[in-house]
Amino acid sequence: MSYLNSPRLTFNGDFQSDVSTVNNDTAHYNNETFKPSFQIPSDSNDPNGWWNPEGGAVFNFLNCKVSQLTFEDGTVKSDPGSDMILGQFVGGPEGRPTGKMVDLDPDQQGVSALWCVQLRLFTASNELLFQGDIATTAFRDLQFRQTDGGKTNGQPLGGTWTSVMTNVQWGEKALASSPFLQKLKEVTHENKLSINLNAFGYHYNHSQDGRFSLGRILGSIGPWFKGEPDTFLPGRRLYGLVGLRGPAYFRISNFITEPETKRLTVDFGSSFPIADALGCISLTTPLLLGVAKIPVNQGPAQEATYITPTDFLKIGPVEYKTGSADWLNQTGGIVSFSNLPDLTFSSLTHNQLLLVSPSASTPGQLAIIARESVEGLYVRADNFVQRLDTDDESTIAFYAYRWGKPFANSAINVTLDSPTADTPLGPNNPISIVYGNNYPSDGLKFASGIFTDQQGLACLKILGKAIHSPRKYIDGQVYTLQYTLETYPNDYNDFAMMRDIIAVHLRDQFDVPEPPTWEAIKSTLIQYSNLYPIMSKYLVNLSDPVDLKLKKARLLFAFKQPITNTMHMPVTRDLSKAKREAIIKWLEYGELPEANDPTNENPPVPISQNPLGAGTPLTESQQDYRNVIKAKNGSMPSFPVIQNLFENL
Amino acid sequence: MIQIKPEIIHQIKEATSLEHLFDKVQMAIELEHATIPPYLTAMFSLKPGANLGQRKIIYSVVVEEMMHMSIAANILNALGGSPQINNPQFIPSYPGPLPMGIGQGLQVGLEAYSTKVVEDVFMKIEEPEHPLVFKALFESEEPQYSTIGEFYMALQNQIIALAPDILPGDSTKQVTSPSFFKKELLFPIIKKEDAINAINVIIEQGEGTTKSPYAQGEDGEFAHYYRFEELSRGKTLVADSTATNGFSFSGADIAFDHNGVYSLYPNTKTASLPEGSEVKILMNNFNTIYSSLLFGLHDTFNGKPENLGNTIGLMFDLRLTAEKLCATPFPGKPGYNVGPSFEFFKPGMPI
Repeated sequence: MSYLNSPRLTFNGDFQSDVSTVNNDTAHYNNETFKPSFQIPSDSNDPNGWWNPEGGAVFNFLNCKVSQLTFEDGTVKSDPGSDMILGQFVGGPEGRPTGKMVDLDPDQQGVSALWCVQLRLFTASNELLFQGDIATTAFRDLQFRQTDGGKTNGQPLGGTWTSVMTNVQWGEKALASSPFLQKLKEVTHENKLSINLNAFGYHYNHSQDGRFSLGRILGSIGPWFKGEPDTFLPGRRLYGLVGLRGPAYFRISNFITEPETKRLTVDFGSSFPIADALGCISLTTPLLLGVAKIPVNQGPAQEATYITPTDFLKIGPVEYKTGSADWLNQTGGIVSFSNLPDLTFSSLTHNQLLLVSPSASTPGQLAIIARESVEGLYVRADNFVQRLDTDDESTIAFYAYRWGKPFANSAINVTLDSPTADTPLGPNNPISIVYGNNYPSDGLKFASGIFTDQQGLACLKILGKAIHSPRKYIDGQVYTLQYTLETYPNDYNDFAMMRDIIAVHLRDQFDVPEPPTWEAIKSTLIQYSNLYPIMSKYLVNLSDPVDLKLKKARLLFAFKQPITNTMHMPVTRDLSKAKREAIIKWLEYGELPEANDPTNENPPVPISQNPLGAGTPLTESQQDYRNVIKAKNGSMPSFPVIQNLFENL
Repeated sequence: MIQIKPEIIHQIKEATSLEHLFDKVQMAIELEHATIPPYLTAMFSLKPGANLGQRKIIYSVVVEEMMHMSIAANILNALGGSPQINNPQFIPSYPGPLPMGIGQGLQVGLEAYSTKVVEDVFMKIEEPEHPLVFKALFESEEPQYSTIGEFYMALQNQIIALAPDILPGDSTKQVTSPSFFKKELLFPIIKKEDAINAINVIIEQGEGTTKSPYAQGEDGEFAHYYRFEELSRGKTLVADSTATNGFSFSGADIAFDHNGVYSLYPNTKTASLPEGSEVKILMNNFNTIYSSLLFGLHDTFNGKPENLGNTIGLMFDLRLTAEKLCATPFPGKPGYNVGPSFEFFKPGMPI
C-alpha cells in the first residue's frame, strides 16, 4: 500500500457507522436466556441491548470534501483555484445501497471490517470525478486519540482502515480538467488506487450536537503499486513510548522515505492527540522529528525516555496548529520534509526515526515520544481476518521489512493463542455462561514457522478442520494467532500495540439435511431474530417459519447475494456455507413445522470441549487485548481525562 | 378520481408520431411514482406489529404501483424514449395535485394512516370511472377533466395507430424481475401487442375491469380501489351470490387499532426539523437513500437493467430508515412524530 506516495489526495469529513449492538454481548447469542429487553437501548440502570440495538450496519461518508493535493515533486495545493478537484465532494455510492461495517464475531470485535464500501468523488453538480470500490478491510491500530476521555461522544479511540480501491472509474471531465487526476491515473498501476482512512471521534452517545453514530474521518488516496500489500503501508512506523498499559498517544504512525526526492513523509492522522471528538488540537508541546544516531531500544514506560541532542540528528519540527481542528482537517495530519540533506537522508535509511520534545523536567535532554522499532523491522499479515468453513484452506500473505525495504530470508513464527476459560454465571456475567475461545486447538492446521522470500513475502496456509459447537450457542469458534519476526522478538514483546494478530472465525461442521427441515435452521434464525431487531421488527420475523415463507422471495434474494455484495444476508457475514444452503433449501421447498411438534427442541449436537477449567485467568497479552476490545466496543466504564499531555516530560 | 388535465388527452389524440407520446409516457411514470410516497407514509405510520391487515393491503398496492412505474418506463423505452427519473422535478411537491392532475382537483399529501385518508385520498386516487360518467365526459363539448383510465386508453389507441408491430426501442433496456413479479405482469415490451397488454395490466390492477373488481381473471387480487374500500369498511370483499354484482364486503373483519398508528406530523419537511438534531440527520439519510433510489432506477431504465437488484436493496434501506423516523417524536411539536419527507437530496449537500 502506498497511500503516502504522491500524487496524493487528502479529504476529511464525517463517517456514519450505524452498527448494531445487541450482538456486542456474547451472552445475547444464547437463545434460551434471551430477553426482549436486550433489544432496547441501554439506560443508566441496564445495558439492555447496548447503545444502538436497531443499527443496520450502514457505513457511509458524509460531509466529506477534498482538502489538499500533494504532487510528486512535493508541491502541496489547497487553494480551490489550483486544481478543480480541490473542495469537491467525497461520498458513498449512488443508485445502490451503501457499504456495511461489521465485526467478525462477538468474541472478536477488534477487527471491524468495511464491506462493499464505494467511494465517489463528484462536483457540486454531481458530475463524477472518480469512483472505486474499497476492497474489504478490517481496522487495525486502535489508538487513544481524545485527551478529554471521550466524555461527550463515548469513544476516545481512533482506528485505521487501509485498502485498495478497485473498479476505478474516471469521470471524463475530471480527466480533461484536473492535472492531479491525470497524473494519479498515469502513475498508479492496474487502474487501482490505495486508500487510508483514519477514523476517530465516533459517537456512541446521543450528544447534544446530534452526532450519534457519526465520527470524523481523514482520508488519503494515492497510487497503488504492484507487489505491495493491500491492507497496510509497506513502509516504516513510529511507536509511542510514553505510557505502559494506560493511554499512550502517538502510539502508531506510518511513514515512508523516498530517495528520489530525499523526502520523509509521516502520517500522524492516525495518532495525533486531539482534545475532543471533532479533532480540535490543544497540544502545545513542540515536536521534533529526527534520526537516532544510536540504537534506541527502550520499551514503553510511564516515565519518559531521553536522548541527548548529540545523539539526535534533527530533521525538523512538526508544524501543527493548535486551537482548532483546521490543521488536522487540512493536511490529514501528514507532514513531509523534502530535499533533506544527504547526510540526514542517508542516515535515515538505516537508523531509527524519533519523535521527540525538548524535556521540561530534564533540561538539555530530548524526551522520546515515539520511536521506530529496533533495526527498523516490521512484519505484517495482509489478509489477517479469515472466515473459514470445515475443510476451507486460506493462504495468508506476510510482508517483512527492514528500514522500509523487503526483509528477505527471515523467519516468522506463528502461534495459536492459548485457550481462554469459560465464564460461568455470576455477578459480572449475569445472563449466560460464556464459552472460551481458541479451542479445540486442532481446529486450525498451519505451519508454526515460515520464511520470507527475496521480496520479503511469506505465505501461511491455514486449514479449517471440523469442529463441533465448542461455544454451544454460537456457531464455530474464534481463534487468535500471534506472529513475530524471529529476529528481535523482544521489541514485539515490549510493545503490545506492535503485535498484530490473525483473527479467524472457524464455523461449525454442519450437514445439510435432505429434505431441508425447519428444525435444522431454527436456532440460527431465532438467533438472528433476537440479535437484529431492525430486521425482525420491520421486515420479517426471522423466528416465524410462516412469516419467512410469506416473504420468501425477498429472503432468497438477500440470502443468495455473494458475500461481496452489500445486500448479502446476514449482514454480519457469519453464516457458514452449509447453514446458508440449508436455509435456502428450506425457503425454496422445505415444509412448515407441525404445530406442537415434539421435536421442537434443539437437536443434541456433539460438543468440542474447552480444555481449561472455568475461571482460569487470561494471559497478560490476552487481558491487554480484551481491554482494547472493551475500550473499542463501549463497554469500558470510563477513560481518563489527560490535562497536560507531554507537559512535564 | 384523479382528474387529469383534458389537454393532455387531447395532445395524445393529436399525436402523429411516437415521439409525440414520449413526454406523455414520462408523465405516466411520474404519476405512478407519485402515488407511492403517500401510500408508504401511511404504511410506515403503522406501528410495528400493529394493524397488520392495513399494512398488508397498502403494501400490496405499493408493490403494484412500483410495477406500474416499471411498465410505464418499459413502454417509454420500447417506443424509443428515455425515462427521466433522477432529477428533483420527478418528485411532486406534497401536498399538491398528482402529476397531470388539475390544480383544483385532488390534493395529495404525506400523512399518517387513517380511515379518512384512505377514503378521501387513496380511494379517490384509485377510483374507477363510472361507465356513465365516462360516456358523459367523452360527449361533453368542453370537458372539465379527464380520467387516468382515459389517459391510458388514449395512449393505447395511439400506440395501436402509430407504432409498427415491432417497437423501435432498444429491447436490451427492458426491465423484468422474475423473482418479484410474474412474467404475465411485468414482461419485456418488444411488440406493439406487448405494449397494449402492458397498459391493460395497469388499468385493470388500478381500477378493475368494468365487469368485476378482480384485477386479472377470477382468481387474481382485487383492483386497488376495492382493496382500499376493504380498509374503509373494515371488512374483506368476498364473492357473494346474493349480492347484486356478485360481491359484498361481508368477509372477515379487518380490525383497526387507533393506538397502533404513529401520529405523524402531516407533510413533514426537512427544513422544519431543528438544525443539528439526530432526527434531521436521520431525515437526510432517508432522503439520501430515496434520491439514490431514483438515481438507481434511472440507471436501471436507461440501459442497466442489471441494476434493479441494487434498487431493491435501496428499497429495504428506505423502509428501515422511514420506520425509524416514524418512531421518532417531532422536536417542538408535542404529540407528533416525524414523517418521511420524500425530498430530493442533492449529493454533497451537508447532512
